[in-house]
Amino acid sequence: MTLPQPSMSPARATATDVIASVTDLRVHFRAKGGTVHAVDGVSFDIHDGETLGLVGETGCGKSVTARSFLRLVPMPPGIAAGGSITFGPEKTDLTTVDDRTLRSIRGDRIAMIFQDPGKALNPALNVRDQIAEVFCEHRTDDVLDRAGIDVSGQPGPGRQLLRRRAAGRSRLHERMVLALPPLRGRRRAIEDALDGMIADALAETHIPNPRKVMDRYPHELSGGMRQRVMIAQALACNPDLLIADEPTTALDVTVQARIMELIADLKARRRTSVLYISHDLSLVRRICDRVAVMYAGRIVEIGPTDRVLAEPLHPYTRGLLAAVPSASQRRGELVAIEGTVPELIDPPPSCRFVGRCPHAAPACERRDPVLAPIDDGHAVACFLHHPPEDVADDDLPTAGWAGRS
Amino acid sequence: MADIPRRMPVTVPTVDSAWRVRARRWRELLGSVLANPTTVVGLVLIVGMLAVALFAPAITEPNTPDPYQMPRDWGALNVPPGSPGHILGTTNTGGDVYYGIIWGARTSLRLSIIVVSITVVVGVAIGSAAGFIGGKVDEILMRIVDVFLSIPELIFALAIAAVLGPSFRNIILALAVVFWVKYARIMRAQIIHVKDNDYVDAARVIGDSRLRIYLKDVLPNSITPIIVQATLDMGHIVLVGATLSFIGLAEAGLAEWGVLVSEGQAGISAGRWWASTFPGLMVFLWALAFNLVGDGLRDVLDPRTETAR
Repeated sequence: MTLPQPSMSPARATATDVIASVTDLRVHFRAKGGTVHAVDGVSFDIHDGETLGLVGETGCGKSVTARSFLRLVPMPPGIAAGGSITFGPEKTDLTTVDDRTLRSIRGDRIAMIFQDPGKALNPALNVRDQIAEVFCEHRTDDVLDRAGIDVSGQPGPGRQLLRRRAAGRSRLHERMVLALPPLRGRRRAIEDALDGMIADALAETHIPNPRKVMDRYPHELSGGMRQRVMIAQALACNPDLLIADEPTTALDVTVQARIMELIADLKARRRTSVLYISHDLSLVRRICDRVAVMYAGRIVEIGPTDRVLAEPLHPYTRGLLAAVPSASQRRGELVAIEGTVPELIDPPPSCRFVGRCPHAAPACERRDPVLAPIDDGHAVACFLHHPPEDVADDDLPTAGWAGRS
Repeated sequence: MADIPRRMPVTVPTVDSAWRVRARRWRELLGSVLANPTTVVGLVLIVGMLAVALFAPAITEPNTPDPYQMPRDWGALNVPPGSPGHILGTTNTGGDVYYGIIWGARTSLRLSIIVVSITVVVGVAIGSAAGFIGGKVDEILMRIVDVFLSIPELIFALAIAAVLGPSFRNIILALAVVFWVKYARIMRAQIIHVKDNDYVDAARVIGDSRLRIYLKDVLPNSITPIIVQATLDMGHIVLVGATLSFIGLAEAGLAEWGVLVSEGQAGISAGRWWASTFPGLMVFLWALAFNLVGDGLRDVLDPRTETAR
């Protein structure tokens, strides 16, 4: 029995201001007992300049979804099982684009901040080299321009050398040539230009004394400082889309707040879209315009943050919210969701949440609800809200149980 | 060109300061190496023996035509140490033990440097290919490595050297063939471990090419165990090389410690201890020195102690 395809995105936006669009993305992993459906038909749009939160428990597929944007999921064991991620006005499909184009997009137009900055910075490189990398890779012309070197004229050997220096690709013998008087001055100008750009990028993240920090190695910096360096690196090229994979999880609460402010501030100034991955609903509430709730490889609910958090429609979202402590709550009022995330090895065609859902009904066991809009911009995948017409009422879940929690 | 100076003066000193920072780091590293007294003992021994090896022609008059052949004094066989002209005595064929020891240091240095360079380069290349590319390449390369590892290293080297014929060059070749395997294994394990780090993904996110990621992120972070192993092998290879030449796989009369021990061993029962003892002692000191320094380096370079600092 096939269900009618839902309208893929609950989009209120026109096509022009959608920066990235995920359509029916499926990423599977080969495992011992079968195929793990880590991401199983995820669809959503990211609008220009918005922050989209992607929330869910550990193992629900949110990181895999995010990493698919930059094709960072290792294949094998990963399997690209279908779907597409189109990006930018030219609608490049990131899942199929050739490596060369992908490399030009990575770091320049899509950047990523990792969860643990202690692990995401190369311990063998100092901060300067860490960030210089981005500029060398994507902003060679800007570096040369800032150094006051015009390499647009006829290409001589010296210009080639300088250009390669600005791209960070000088070989050993070239470095020796660049150390000699005819080119030394201009090489220094390039290095100064790079240093200037790096210092500016660091200053944007409110790092005190950027010129000093540049010579530091990651292990000499605090967690908050490292994350700032990561952010400086990620935002160096003014990307259109920033993917933040739980950027504050590894940090202290006080540092967390600062980093959140920083991301929100930089995002507002540059009109960067952000895909913000988190398991922390209170963070999402603070910085996200829209939120998508993921469960077991699916998006179960998506909509504007205030709406989704104020009137959650999916039982899982309600469960998540009930499990978040707030200051107004009294002791003992936190409710845990019973059970754990199901095994995603060759899942049956039932609702993924059926084993833990307080509303579970026979229909939920037999078929799989799809994400369908409730009203403008708010969509949910649950038979509570979208009862299929060809199923008897007795088999459908009833909202009456909802009063329990 | 004309407008360049206008922009230049802003940050000129940073180039120097980066160098100064780097120099300070090296000093710190050296300081922590020297903080360990046994390492210092090893270093002193190494420096001493390197000096002997390098200045061998100045210490003893080189033999003609081939300085690596011990001079034979057929008029003074089995002379005990302290004899005029032969401070450490002679062997039963009139070979000067003192000359053999001094030039033996040069032979050992030659042997260990050549073998270690070849094996490190080959091992790192093969281990990197296996670890970084992975998949079928990894599978094939590691099965080859397994074949090499399944034969005891000394017997394997012995077999190769014996097949090629007795000469010092063949000993070098045999050891090179045998010893790269260890480096390939270490390198592969390191790379697989390092490759999993987020900073490798972060480099991909920046848009770096695979080669660049390998050179910039993976190689520098996986090389330290290779450095430690290479230091240890500088000693170990001389030990194995001496074993092979003791058995008789080097040219007879070569100024080499193993050859000297071998020439002297017949006389030990007759009380002529010196021809074997002194070169044996040199092998011992050489291996000990590099082991001490290797262990010291391991303590300092170990990534776990590095981050715990």
